[in-house]
Amino acid sequence: MATEKIQDVRRMTHWPGHMETDYIYTLGIAGERFFKEIKENGKIPGAKCKRCGQIFVPPRLYCEKCFDKLTDWVNVGTKGKVYTFTIAYIDIKGARLKEPTIYALIKFDGTVGGLVHKLGEVDICDLRVGLPVEAVFKPQPERTANINDIKYFKPVK
Amino acid sequence: MFGKKRVAVIGAGMTLFRRTLKETGKELAWEASKMALDQAGLELKDIDSVVMGTAPDAFDGVHMKGEYLADGSGAYRKPYSRVFVGGGTGVFAVDAGWWHIASGQFDTCLVVGEEKMSSCYPHPAYAFTTIFDPIYARPLGVTLIWIFALEMHRYMHVHGIKKEDIALVSVKNKRNALDHPCAQLGANITVEDVLNSEMLCYPVQRLDISPTSDGAAALVLASEDVAKKVTDNPVWIDGVGWCIDSTFWTNRDLYYPRYVQCAAQMAYKMAGIKNPPKEIDVAEVYDPFDYKELHHMEGLMLARKGQAPRLTAEGVTQRDGDLPINPSGGLLGVGNPIAAAGIMKCCEIFWQLRGEAGKRQVKGDPRTGLAQAWGDLMQYGSVVIMRS
Ligand SMILES: [Zn+2]
Repeated sequence: MATEKIQDVRRMTHWPGHMETDYIYTLGIAGERFFKEIKENGKIPGAKCKRCGQIFVPPRLYCEKCFDKLTDWVNVGTKGKVYTFTIAYIDIKGARLKEPTIYALIKFDGTVGGLVHKLGEVDICDLRVGLPVEAVFKPQPERTANINDIKYFKPVK
Repeated sequence: MFGKKRVAVIGAGMTLFRRTLKETGKELAWEASKMALDQAGLELKDIDSVVMGTAPDAFDGVHMKGEYLADGSGAYRKPYSRVFVGGGTGVFAVDAGWWHIASGQFDTCLVVGEEKMSSCYPHPAYAFTTIFDPIYARPLGVTLIWIFALEMHRYMHVHGIKKEDIALVSVKNKRNALDHPCAQLGANITVEDVLNSEMLCYPVQRLDISPTSDGAAALVLASEDVAKKVTDNPVWIDGVGWCIDSTFWTNRDLYYPRYVQCAAQMAYKMAGIKNPPKEIDVAEVYDPFDYKELHHMEGLMLARKGQAPRLTAEGVTQRDGDLPINPSGGLLGVGNPIAAAGIMKCCEIFWQLRGEAGKRQVKGDPRTGLAQAWGDLMQYGSVVIMRS
């Protein structure tokens, strides 16, 4: 139901402009090591703060609370739990998706943070907060050290 | 009293909020500023300093908006700065205006908020896709709405809240906005209309969300000396607060806005408020999504955790209820030109405390009001408390 007459800006006197700029982002010190671990070993690491004991996933170079450098890296496994999820029906430009995509925040036991990622191999009816899931990696030769080296998370059988 | 000088609000102004306005951003800023000065009975020469609040450059499409909007904001040859904390900008700009005067440096400060989102074509939502972490989030195709959907879902899950409980906020605010002469989306809708609207990212539907808008709003702040010379009914800024939580939203309690609680505690302490639901007479709570009004009421400690939906269902938050929330119509009803919307909320509290809100006036004689906004990557809280 529409509650407003949408006015197209092109119906007013106007000048069409453009502001595109392209970027290359470095992964950073902690990010490079994190994605290398995913790419080469199919493992998800976290970084532990010696002062407060928190384990950050993804790993960071420093603890945001204590401000100490994090040097203790631990393997947190590839299994976590769905903390919350959404079913997206629209893409980043607002257009309807052909197939809805499920996104979730996945938390790993005993850690702070977690990974936002897609869920796959899951029936919408089985979706719930608390669902145990595991990472499904791309085959090793196809991995290029980025977050999509994990294809998605799927329910633990 | 905090600071060297007590600070008053003495004038407010705002433009129409609309999907698309013909005026440029500069022209909108000027219109709102001029109205605020007129209400204060001042001229630009009486203004010592200017604070401008405006959100991402990508909306207006001018990659240095502070400078671009300076003349329309009355900053010509004056001490001027732009502040920007995302959606929290509007209320934070008033916090910043407060310290300009409380520091003793200035006697007057013009605070202006502007946003012209229609310039970003075909839809300003696309500008939001570049606010996320470029390495961990953006490669997944992250959009603003699904991030909110994740938070809304967590809030619903933890407290067992239903969509129909949340939809009541949208119904209330759009109805309140029917009485606002500047409103973009005033409407009489039902809970069913919200539940039947287009599903965007479960559980977020079309009518859960505020629109994108063009608009501007402004306030004139003055020291006690100046305020008492020019008006018989100044409204005092008795509390300010602001706070940011973890920049990694995965590290936050999604069900509870701790950043709002921290900002509110700072402002309540300053204003000497010990029992917020009893002592706050009227509040403008940031509502870009319907669930955020409830979430933020709890963060502001106006409701206990998980209890804001019950207060809403009981009518407590209606304009004639015991704790009116968003009598203006809020972002859901008046519109959401980001930084201008936050200042609109401060304007509404100013008008409510002066008894100048017309058909929107809440019952009784409100003496203490609160405005709050929320921003950056969903973890910034800003709060202002005013008293008449
Ligand atoms: Zn630490």
